[in-house]
Amino acid sequence: MSDRHALLLRLVYPLVALILVIAGWALAVDVFEIPRYVMPSPMDVANHIADDWPALVKGFGQTFMEFLLGFLAGAIAGFVFAVLMDASRPVRGILYPILITSQAIPIVAISAALTIWLGFGLAPKLVIVALVVFFPVVVNVLDGLASVDKDIINLVRSMGASRFSIFRHVKLPATYTPLFSALKLSATFSVTGAVIAEWTASTSGGIGAYLLQANSRLNTAGTFAAIVFLALLGLVSFLLVIAAEYWLTPWRSGSKARRWSSSYWKDETGG
Amino acid sequence: MTAAASPKLALHAVTQRFGETLALSPTDLAVRAGEFVSVVGPSGCGKSTMFNIIAGVLQPSGGRVLIDGRDVTGRAGEVGYMLQKDLLLPWRTVLDNIVLGALLKGKAGPKERAEGVALARRYGLGDFINHYPSALSGGMRQRAALMRTLAMHRDVLLLDEPFGALDSQTRFAMQQWLLSVWEREQRTIVFVTHDIDEAVFLSDRVVVMSPRPGRIREIIEVPIPRPRPVSALTSPLFSTIKQRIIDLIYENSPALEPAHV
Repeated sequence: MSDRHALLLRLVYPLVALILVIAGWALAVDVFEIPRYVMPSPMDVANHIADDWPALVKGFGQTFMEFLLGFLAGAIAGFVFAVLMDASRPVRGILYPILITSQAIPIVAISAALTIWLGFGLAPKLVIVALVVFFPVVVNVLDGLASVDKDIINLVRSMGASRFSIFRHVKLPATYTPLFSALKLSATFSVTGAVIAEWTASTSGGIGAYLLQANSRLNTAGTFAAIVFLALLGLVSFLLVIAAEYWLTPWRSGSKARRWSSSYWKDETGG
Repeated sequence: MTAAASPKLALHAVTQRFGETLALSPTDLAVRAGEFVSVVGPSGCGKSTMFNIIAGVLQPSGGRVLIDGRDVTGRAGEVGYMLQKDLLLPWRTVLDNIVLGALLKGKAGPKERAEGVALARRYGLGDFINHYPSALSGGMRQRAALMRTLAMHRDVLLLDEPFGALDSQTRFAMQQWLLSVWEREQRTIVFVTHDIDEAVFLSDRVVVMSPRPGRIREIIEVPIPRPRPVSALTSPLFSTIKQRIIDLIYENSPALEPAHV
């Protein structure tokens, strides 16, 4: 009972916040008589979204694809980098400078060069988004791998665990918590990365390209429609990470194993 | 020495040097099958060094460790061991943690898991089989850690201050629980602690060690009959044995007042 009540409240508060912001916005445009080309009203934006719905949805799909593929590629590459760096000192010594340098170069600068090398297609966008995720993932996963208690390693070794078994059962699960911190932080930044990539090579028809076009035509309602869709994209990406975290780290969200998981002991006798 | 002709666990002239320091001078010890032996002593007496050598995670500078007459010096996995830290994996259920030994070798089948469940039920964790360790109290976590050690099927169990982090009530309950487990499981236990009451209450013999260099000072028999009731703690025999151990430990440091121990 009170659980459902609490859940309801958790949904109600953000909705109230959203309504307040939109109402404040509508009121401000009306009261201060702001010209439409400077600041459209929420109704103008809603109308624009309704009118240009197919293009916006297609753009959303395009940018979402860039985000998703780039995000996965960056996360996987970062994870592999971290594991290699943890496993070997020379590898760490060689990869660390590369890693730091990759962070020191502004994304916008790489973006221009990538367009020259990879053209106007999907590839340069994926690389940009991947670069955004890559660094936080490497750093956090390295931390997770280093945080494993030496006594646990000693214990499982004394129980006859192989190197692979130690990695699979002890080191790998220890990286999940820091990994998801990194993914949550970079989910929304990745969307920004996708938009920046679209700006330098804007033939893809994503939301970033849509925004740039609307802006250059002083179409403020169009600009705001794009902003709404980008905000939505950021939220969706964040929620996807949260959902994956909930699914993959059940020990952090509950006190018992989930009934359908393979480690759940189903008791026939019922004791 | 009271050990039989072939002891379960034997140390022969086991020595450990760290650079110039002699952490453990040549030490001999024989433990009978099914015996409960405690090791007490002030810090620096070499008891942790001895623990690590028996556990096989430290290769001694000299000497040999034998189990059933087999040389197991520097070989890990020959004894089951347990530390003050429970070292449970937070991402595994209590059951998976108990059968961890089998799990690590990819052999945690229905038989091993059923055995783990039986252990958990027998020793008071039956309602927590599917829980993650974070849902358990300190005492329950240590129970799970001991069951993990039992499920390894080693004859010799090495426990290093397993109850050191628990509050005194829980600790006392756990000591009684450990005795009941030991009486039922018929394993040989070497128990490291600096709590003299704990050592006397649990053990058949107490090994008293002293520092600089680390060595066995004396081995004290505890002829209190088993099963030991709580009243054993206040019996005259208990006090005599305790006083003897205190004298041995503090003999060389007159600055400390034995009465406060």
